[in-house]
Amino acid sequence: MSKAATPPAARIGAGSRRWKLIRGNLGLYALLVPGLLFLLLFKYAPMYGIIIAFQDFNIFAGVAASDWVGLAQFEKLIHSDEFLQVLANTLLISLYKIVILFPIPIVLALLLNEVRKMLFKRTIQTIIYLPHFLSWVIISGLFLNILSPSGGIVNEVIRSLGGQPISFMTDNDLFRSIVVFTAGWKEIGWNAIVFIAAIAGIEQEQYEAASIDGAGRIKQMISITLPGILPIIMLMLILRIGSLLDAGTEQILTMYNPLVYENGDVIGTYVYRMGLGQQDYSFSTAVGLFNSAVGFLLIVIGNSLSRKFLQRSIW
Amino acid sequence: MRGKKFGDLALDGGIYLILIALGLITLLPFANVLSKSVSVEWAIVSGKVGIFPVGFQLDTMQFVITSEQFLRSLFNSVLIVVIGTVASLLITALTAYPLSKRELPGMGIVIVLFIFTMMFNGGIVPNYLLIRQLGLIDDLGALIWPALISVFNLLIIKSYFESLPPSLEESAKIEGARNYTILFRIILPLSGPVLATIGLFYAVYYWNDYFNPMLYINSMSLKPLQLYLQDIVINADTSSALNGSTDNLMNVPPEGVRSATVIASTIPIVLVYPFLQKYFNKGVLIGSVKG
Repeated sequence: MSKAATPPAARIGAGSRRWKLIRGNLGLYALLVPGLLFLLLFKYAPMYGIIIAFQDFNIFAGVAASDWVGLAQFEKLIHSDEFLQVLANTLLISLYKIVILFPIPIVLALLLNEVRKMLFKRTIQTIIYLPHFLSWVIISGLFLNILSPSGGIVNEVIRSLGGQPISFMTDNDLFRSIVVFTAGWKEIGWNAIVFIAAIAGIEQEQYEAASIDGAGRIKQMISITLPGILPIIMLMLILRIGSLLDAGTEQILTMYNPLVYENGDVIGTYVYRMGLGQQDYSFSTAVGLFNSAVGFLLIVIGNSLSRKFLQRSIW
Repeated sequence: MRGKKFGDLALDGGIYLILIALGLITLLPFANVLSKSVSVEWAIVSGKVGIFPVGFQLDTMQFVITSEQFLRSLFNSVLIVVIGTVASLLITALTAYPLSKRELPGMGIVIVLFIFTMMFNGGIVPNYLLIRQLGLIDDLGALIWPALISVFNLLIIKSYFESLPPSLEESAKIEGARNYTILFRIILPLSGPVLATIGLFYAVYYWNDYFNPMLYINSMSLKPLQLYLQDIVINADTSSALNGSTDNLMNVPPEGVRSATVIASTIPIVLVYPFLQKYFNKGVLIGSVKG
């Protein structure tokens, strides 16, 4: 007891206060148990499974009895032309999606903000948000249908204009464009919501002052609205770049076929095909680990950039 | 003065035109496939169907939505959505409540443990091996249990709980209410809108999920609607629609069936869309305040 008296009294006070807090709220801690079990079993246990990336995993022998191969899977990965192609496809599709599809929702929000007829505005919003709620299977089904070379409406229009029908979904050169277009078709309306909300938060006085100064609507759009939502734009861009390596796995899985693997196979789909199609578990896990690690790095970098320049962080 | 007015008019005209065009680009594919689903097969195959049906008929649609496999898949999907949404909402809210008490020791660490999984995960193969080890292959549980808590949703509910005035709880405590009483009698009843929003987030997730069923479900009788749709529309395998009616094989128009299946799978979402739009809008806004 006399020894315990040597640390500062405040510290003992803090320690026993902590214990009192814990003991007084055991019921609240008990509420955490199901969530923690979930976290452990379905989130952290698979992370343990990553060690098979360093093995020559045999599904019948299990993790414990499989042979260790060190970094052999990663060596195979670096020297695989197929993987390099897949990585290039991933980066290309992702960059196209960012460069082309990131600005459109911002413009859309600016345009919607200019509409004074509320009924028209709401109708357009209702229509363009809808595809967001449909699964990629439905969207791909829809586009396979209208782009079909036999009776698809797009090819009928091309034919009636005197052109040759195009086999869109099996054309390796067109595949990336189709992926970018359909991703835009599904999400640009929805992605505008954040910017619409941000515009609504701009103070009205700024506009009043500007119009007294004689600034037109386009001028106001460029010199008040756009700067007003710039922090949100930057934040969304940083978040978007954080998921650079996800070029749209679910989308591409429902759209692609062996004829377009060359340009259309991305990391996510490659992991799926290698792992569960060809059952090359260890190699596929190594590719997946590469993907997760780079993705993690990008998010951490993005967050520290955001914290530094925007004084806002994701966590 | 007049010039300025004209400029404004032109600007408005341009904006309306762009927005109308965007609306049409969104709607026309649906209109076309909807028309196909109620048109006669020869008109579909020969490309005569535009945005209006040719040779209107409802036999294909009727065939699709009364086919045994469609109904079974629909049933599976509804089951997954109902059980999944209720279970997810319950466990997410129960986990979010203690996490909203930042003053309790250890809560900060648990939050970090959750957030870390948003940025880093085991990947497809380790997840698959886990599900296999748990004996959940060809079990609808494989589509629910691993998705019980979405960390994003957890954080939204947590920050909502944090935003409630502490005086509510303090006065209840003075009257002798225990933690659970406070949660179930005071906090949850006050959280109606946010719980509705998150419930819809979960419901749409479970309804639209096709990736996990693709990994874990092989048995025809357990396939949810999205997987059934994939068989028919993407893999162009109409045989599963014909399951149980093979004598009909010659009379069933494959193009029409594909179109009708897309439409039939879209309708449930369209029916609940008014709610979705209302609450999702709110959800996005809550999320963007502090995500």
